[in-house]
Amino acid sequence: MKKYLPWVGLLSRFILGGVLLAAGLLKYQHLDKSQMAVRAYELLPVSLANILGIVLPFVEIAVGVLLVIGAAIRISALVGGVLMGAFMIGIAQAWARGLSIDCGCFGGGGQVEPGTANYLPELLRDGGLALLAIYLFRYPQSKFGLDRQRKDGEQING
Amino acid sequence: MENRSMANQKPGKDNFTRNLVIAVVVGVILLMLVPTLLSKRTNTSAAIPASVSADRGYGIVFNEGLKGVPLIDIYEDFQCPICAQFEKMQGDYIESLITAKKATVVYHTLSFLGPESVNAANAAACSADENKFLGYHRALYANQPAENTGVWSNDVLGILGQAAGITSKKFTSCVNDMAYQGWVNNVAQAGAKANVNSTPTVFINGKEIDRKSEYFSADKFKAAVERG
Repeated sequence: MKKYLPWVGLLSRFILGGVLLAAGLLKYQHLDKSQMAVRAYELLPVSLANILGIVLPFVEIAVGVLLVIGAAIRISALVGGVLMGAFMIGIAQAWARGLSIDCGCFGGGGQVEPGTANYLPELLRDGGLALLAIYLFRYPQSKFGLDRQRKDGEQING
Repeated sequence: MENRSMANQKPGKDNFTRNLVIAVVVGVILLMLVPTLLSKRTNTSAAIPASVSADRGYGIVFNEGLKGVPLIDIYEDFQCPICAQFEKMQGDYIESLITAKKATVVYHTLSFLGPESVNAANAAACSADENKFLGYHRALYANQPAENTGVWSNDVLGILGQAAGITSKKFTSCVNDMAYQGWVNNVAQAGAKANVNSTPTVFINGKEIDRKSEYFSADKFKAAVERG
C-alpha cells in the first residue's frame, strides 16, 4: 500500500464530509426553504418532496460527521456518493427542462429569475465530490480515523 | 495516531469505540429528526386570527363568500424584498379591489426567510384581530429592514402597529406572546402543500399568473385579474 494514500483519504474525507456537514447545517436552519428547494426541482410529488426537504439535511449532517471523524467510512462514502449522484441528476434535469431554480445546495433554493440560474459549476462541483466519494469507497484507509485498520494499512471494516 | 496504534494491539476495544461513536451520531440525528418531522405537521388546534379560513390554506381572507368575482391568493414573506416591490406596485390596486368588493383576496404570510418572518407573520395575524390587517401589511412593507438583521423584534413590531392606527394593549401582548406562532406554521405547511416555491406567488382562481410578465406590470396584472 502506498504511503501517501491514507493522506489522500484523510483529505477526501475532510472535503466530502465538510461540504456535506456545512450543506446540512445551512439547510437545517431554514427547513421551509429546504422543502421549497426540493419542490422546485419538479421531480417528486409535492408531499414526498416536502418530506425529503426535511430528512435530507439530517442525512447530510450524519454522513458529514461520520466522514470527518472517520467512522464507517465506506458506508458513509457510499451514501455521500449516492447523494451527489442524485443531486447531479436533479440539477441536470432542471437544466435540460429549462427550469430556473436555485439548486438549494447550501440552503436557499426555490425559483429564481429566469436566466440567472447557473447549473454548470454546480454540476462540476458535485461531480468532483462524487469522485472523492468513489475514491473513499474503493480506498477507505486514511489517517486519524476511528475505523479499524490492519497493520499494512488496509481497512478491515467499514 | 494514538487510536490507530491502539487498534493494532487491542482491535476489539477500538471497534467498540468506533461502533459506539457511529451509534451515537446516528442516534442523535434520528432523535432530532423525529420531533422536527412532527413539528412540521399542521396543528389543527392552533389559535387562528380573525378572518382566517383553514379551508383556504389558513390564509387571511377578505370578501369571503362573494359570488362571481376572481379569487386572488397571494403568498408572500414580509422580509422578502421582491414582495415589498410587488406591494408597492400592486398593493393599492389590490386594496381597491377589496374595498370595492370586486375580488376575494387571500393573504398567505409565509415565513421561510427566518425567525423575523415568523415574528412579522404573527404580528400581522394580531393586526387582523384588530381589523387593521391591510394597514399593518402596508406598514410592514414600508418599513422593511434587511433580512434577519434583528430589527423586527416583537417590541418593534408592536410599536409599528401605531403606523396602522393600532393602539390597543391586546395587540402588543398578542405580538409579544407570539399568540399565533402555531398558525404561522400552519400557513407555511399549507404553502408547501400548494407547491409555492418563491415569493411573491399569486394565484388567480387557482392558477399562477405569468412570472415573466404579469407580476410587475400594472396593466398586465389588472388584465390577469379581470380575465379571472
